[in-house]
Formats: sequence, C-alpha cells, structure tokens
Amino acid sequence: MKDRRKMLALLAVGLPSLAAAGTSESSALAKKSAFKDCPRGITGPTAHRFPQAIVTDQNKEKAWFYEELIHDKIVLVNFTSVRGEKHYPIVANMVKVQNMIGDRLGKDVFIYTISTDPYHDTPESLKELADSHGAKWQFLTGAPEDVKGILQGFGIRGTINGLSWVGNEKTGRWMTKATRQHPLYIAEAVARLSTGKHFKPFLVDMHSV
Amino acid sequence: MVKRRKVLKAGALLSVPAIFGGGAANAQLCRPTGMRSLGTEPDSPPVTAYTEPLFIPPKLENIGAAALNPPIDPSRHQRYDEFEAVNVTEQHITEGVWNYHSDLSALTPAQAGAPAGSGSIAWMFSGGEGTGGQPSTPGPTLVARYGEPVFVRRHNDLPSADDVFMPIGYPAISTHLHNAHTASESDGYPMDFAMPGEFWEHHYAMYYARNDSNEGMGSLWYHDHMIDFTATNVYAGLSGMAIFYDEFDSGDETDPNPNAFNLPGNMQFGDDGAGNSLGFDISMILHDVRFTPDGNPTYNVFDTDGHLGDLITVNRKVQPFMNVKRRKYRLRIYDGGPSRFYELGFYKTSDRDTPISFDIIANDGNLLEEPFRGATSVIVGPANRNDVIIDFSQFAAGEEIEILNLAEQVNGQGPTGRRLKGNDRMKVLQFRVVEMDPGEVDVSTVPNALRPFPSIPPQAVLDTLIHREWVFDHDMGLWTVNGQFMDPSIVSAAPKQGTAEVWTFRNAGSSWAHPCHVHFEECQILEWNGKKPTGVLKARKDVMTLGPNDVVKVFYRFDDFVGRYVIHCHNNVHEDNAMMLRWDITPG
Repeated sequence: MKDRRKMLALLAVGLPSLAAAGTSESSALAKKSAFKDCPRGITGPTAHRFPQAIVTDQNKEKAWFYEELIHDKIVLVNFTSVRGEKHYPIVANMVKVQNMIGDRLGKDVFIYTISTDPYHDTPESLKELADSHGAKWQFLTGAPEDVKGILQGFGIRGTINGLSWVGNEKTGRWMTKATRQHPLYIAEAVARLSTGKHFKPFLVDMHSV
Repeated sequence: MVKRRKVLKAGALLSVPAIFGGGAANAQLCRPTGMRSLGTEPDSPPVTAYTEPLFIPPKLENIGAAALNPPIDPSRHQRYDEFEAVNVTEQHITEGVWNYHSDLSALTPAQAGAPAGSGSIAWMFSGGEGTGGQPSTPGPTLVARYGEPVFVRRHNDLPSADDVFMPIGYPAISTHLHNAHTASESDGYPMDFAMPGEFWEHHYAMYYARNDSNEGMGSLWYHDHMIDFTATNVYAGLSGMAIFYDEFDSGDETDPNPNAFNLPGNMQFGDDGAGNSLGFDISMILHDVRFTPDGNPTYNVFDTDGHLGDLITVNRKVQPFMNVKRRKYRLRIYDGGPSRFYELGFYKTSDRDTPISFDIIANDGNLLEEPFRGATSVIVGPANRNDVIIDFSQFAAGEEIEILNLAEQVNGQGPTGRRLKGNDRMKVLQFRVVEMDPGEVDVSTVPNALRPFPSIPPQAVLDTLIHREWVFDHDMGLWTVNGQFMDPSIVSAAPKQGTAEVWTFRNAGSSWAHPCHVHFEECQILEWNGKKPTGVLKARKDVMTLGPNDVVKVFYRFDDFVGRYVIHCHNNVHEDNAMMLRWDITPG
C-alpha cells in the first residue's frame, strides 16, 4: 500500500502535532476540503473526514478522536444520547455485541458510542447510562462544536440514529449495520473487516449449496 | 402535498414520475443547516472532453465445458440437466489499472503492479474474446441466446483486504446478472459471496419465464452484489453488460427469418481501439466517477445519501468519442449508478439548442410492444436501461453529435427536478459521423410491432390475488423498506412457485428518489400514481424508479425456480445502508 510507508513515518512522530504543516495525505485534497483541515501528525485512509478534536469519555478521560480512537484500529461506532436512548434504545443491543466480541474489546476492537446531544450529555450522565447496561466501551462527549464535527463526518443528523459504523482504519474499509440488527450480524461485520488471526469471512455460513 | 400540475413534459415519459417534476424537488435544495453537500468533495482533475475513444467491451468467450477444471457439478444447480450449458465461460476478477482518460492516467502513481502514469486503480473482469486474458471494466459482454444455456465460473482473484490497493469496497464478490430469470444459487444473492482465491458458479438457463417468448429479455448487466459493499464494489469497476437474443430480436439485421425484427446489429462486438465500433448494437453503461488529484476514483463512504461523481464515464471512459457511420445504430443505454439519475438528449455540437429525435424500443432491457417514435430525451435512473435507435444518416459526414445530461442532481438523494441549461449540461459522449464503406447498405429496420407483452389477468382475477406493499422510507438515519432493514435471516415475503401477486412500491420520502429493484422477475406496470402507464412506462420493468411520493402497482408471477432473492433500492448506497429485504420463492 503506497501510503503505508508514509503512515509509518508519521506514526513515529507520535501524537498529533498541530504545528506540523504539510504532512496531510494530499495537499490538494486538503486545500479544497470544506472540513477543518488542520495539518495533523497522524493520518490515515479516512482522517480527512474527521475534525481534529478532543472528546471526553464517561470516565472523564480525554482523547484526540481520530488520532487516538480511530487511527489504525478496528472500531464499532454508534450514536445515541441519554435522552434519545429513552425513545430509541440501542445500548442493550450493543451490549450483546460486546459479549460476542469478548476479550477483543479494548485490545484490537474498540466500541464507541458518540453522544448526539453534547449540549446535555456529561461524562457523569453517560457513565450512568453505560453502567446501567454493563457497557464496558467508551461513551464520548465533548465540546458541542467538536462533537458536531465528528457527527457530521459520519453523516449523523438529529439526536436519534440507527446506524452503526464498523471500520478497520488499518485497511480503510468501513461499512454500516443497523444498530438494532441482530447482534450476530454486527459481530460478523467486525470479524469480516478484521485482518490477521481474527479475520473470519462470516460467523454463520449463509451461502447456498 | 406535492402538486403534480407543474410536472415537466420530460422526454418520452407521458406519465412522468414525480422525480422529474413537482414541487417536492425544492425540498432538497433547501437542506438543513450544516448538512454536507457536494462542495465538501474536491473536484476531479481537469480532463479534455471527447479525446478518449469509447471502449466497447468484447464478447465473452465460449471456452466449452471441457475446459473447466474442476468440471461442472450439475447437482449444485436447479434443473441443470434440463438446461445443460452450451455456452461456457470463465472470468477472473482482478485488481489492476484502467485508462479512464489519458489526462487522468498521466497523474497516477505506480500501483497494483503497474508503473506510474499507466492508469487509475480498478477492479476488472477477464474472459473476452481476443483479449488474451486482459481484464477490463466494464467486463466483456455476455452475449447469449434463448435456448442456449450459459455457465459462468467467476474467480475472485482480488488481493485480500490487507493487500488491496483499491481504497474502497471489499474484495469479496457475488456477481448478480441483473434481471435474468435465474435460480437463486446462480443469481448473485448478497450472501453467496466468494472470498479471494475462491470462485462462484452461475448457471443461466436461457429459458423464457413460463417458456413464453413474450417474456424474452434483451439488455441485462452483471454487477457485484456483495452484502454491504455493492455500491463501492461496482464503483471500483465490477460491472459489465449482457445481451440476450432470440429468433425475434436476433441481433442480426440481415437475418432472413421472417420472425426476426432486423434491428440494427451484426453480431460484432468490441472496437478497434481508435473509436470505431465493430458492430451497430452498442451497449453503453454510464457511471459518474470522481477522481483524486492522483487520478484514482474517490468516494465518500460516510455519505449514506448516495455518491455523485463529477465526471460522466461511458464504458469507464471519461467523456469519450465514437465514430459512427451514416446509418442506424441501436444504443443500449445503462445507468450503472451508484446514485445519479440522467435525462439524456442528443444535440449537434454546432446546434446545442435543438434536440435530435430518436426512437426508444426498450425499457429496462425489455422490448416495448411498439417503438416510441420521436423521443427527444430519455430518462434513466440507477440500473435502468433504455434501448434507443438513432439514425445518423440524417447527418452529413464530419458532423459531431453529443449526448448531454440535462438532469440536475446536487446530492445522492435524487435529482432536483430542474433541467440543466446551456453549458451547465453535463457532457457524456460525442459521436463523429463518417460515411459508410463503399457498397455498404443499412438494411436494419425498426418495425412498428415489437415483442407483445405477456397477458395480465382481468381485474376480477387480480383482485383475488395476494397484494403486498413495499414502502421505501428513511428512518433514524437508516434507509428502510417497510420499516425494516436488511437482515438475511428474515424472510419478508414467501410467494409460492406457480403463483401471481400484485405488488405496490411506495416512496414515502418527500425529497428523495428510490429505484426499486426486485430480483428474479421483471413485472408489468398496472398503475403509476393511480394511472395506467403510457409511452415508455408501458413496459415490463425490473427497476421502478420512484420519485418523491410516487406509488407504483405492478403484476408479478413466480415460476420455474425456487430460493432466496432480494428486493432493494438500486441507489446502491441506500442498498448498502440497509435498504434491502430478503424474499423467497417457495415450492408450490
């Protein structure tokens, strides 16, 4: 992959360096993008879709969203809010997915629930939501402008959304599953996009003949 | 409520779907603040129009059953022994580079084993006659004839997801032969995918539905249908055309058979590499593509509305040209998607204000009962096909004729309903008129009567049939059918083999369009927005292109094979974002 060498070189730089100009993947692309295009120290296949922004999880841990949570990882991203969850619950189904992913969670597969209501959702309220379901993944909120930029990158509108994104940012493959679909198919998407020993083309063979 | 009185008199469609008219279109011009628009995607690098010769795919080569190793296993295919293959082909799907346009190829880096400057990254099909195994996109054209069953073994020779250069899509394949009357296991069902290193086999019985020649089909296409990755895999290059002939539509304008229509065609396919086609029956598939500054296709996978390219490609050549003789040609025009709708008109380059008239003879690849004469534009949505006949003898040698796209579309949801004007019209292709060879005569005809439609039972009988409604909508960020999203373990309808049903497709959206596609069978339109279909819409169709709030009622029959099929939106981006359901034909 032609970008891999470049990426590795950038990896060596470490955390995002706002000052490191000219390291983005394509200067011509960055020039025309309507997204924020701050030069970043770490880049990857979909980096240009996301703002360089800090998010906070339910344990008040702060992280650069793309650079620390997405880059080079297999992720499962879904969206809700404390209020939205009352009308269109998704966390319970995602807990079933969490159980299928097992001990890969937090090692090479990362689940994130991004708040669609950063104006109201605090780390405390998200912690209550997560803990009440036994959810062990990160629930993310932050400065509304930053979170809105991230939601916009995923094309999320409104406070309720039924779409989950499954991505492998090592290979740049991303796909969606309905968040309330049978958890098996969401776990299958994670297995299909995995590479190396965790790769499985399917969890249930549904081929004919 | 949409007011229909402002409906545009769009081309040949006398009963016009709301997609090209009505006030509803305005809704999508006024999008909520903060919504992404085309402006967030960079424009493609500049290219010079009409300098790249049109690519016309060669015919798929019949290698004979004996050449297959391992041999065909009849037990894997429904009714194989009744329809033993006589036309056997093998295709390899590979990653490589493709010259979309020399201006773009010049920008490309070394990739996929090819040196810098040699072409854009592409996924392609091999198997064409005389190609020496060289793959192409679109793939070689499957030319088949009713009564001569076809067998295709398709090898997935793509690199694994770890090693693939193509930045989008997923290197697993399931190839669907769009609208073929095919047993489920050969249909390209989304879960019947082959991983890299594997192959999948497709048996096409070349059997008229219910053995009725009025069910004959003409212009089909094969394209990838990998679950969750159809839009991106097709965009990457995995599409190709198929032509079905029979004794009526025989492909040979000199055919002495009194039943033959003698439409333009000489059973020659392919081109000479310099813009000259070998035949007069030309398949053209349109894909709108956006390119990066380094000349490769690009795509925003996070935009679930749909994808729009800013350059129109015809047979994966950007704004190509083609030399045409002063005679009639049959042009099979395909919208390969993923999300763009076209209204295409023909204009002289020297007079872009006067549309040139032509005949439309088929809708979704199925011949009309009679040609629609004197059309001035043709509307195609994703996966729609229209066969048109244009007579270039009305022009002098040296004249240049363009195909321009008049349909404005600003996002993947659907067209705005506004017509592009003047230089805003999008360049598609240029014909350059040349004289016929000395002694050459155009003996082709466009008869007033083409293939009759199969009979539809009287209303009293239709009223006794099972009625089903399929509502295409958007809910919680998901594209849904009947409020559901794709789950291959849920069977949403299970008609019995040998039965008929009345289905209604309803677009519940007020600002988007959905080309609704059903596998296995095309249908006959009973009503379009409550009215009997007329003109080109009076047809057998497999993609009902629904504009905002459109409702279409159709007649279906389920015969000959059983198994799993899907119904989905053929804006493939919607399809990949859950707008698909499984339905089964169960033994009667």
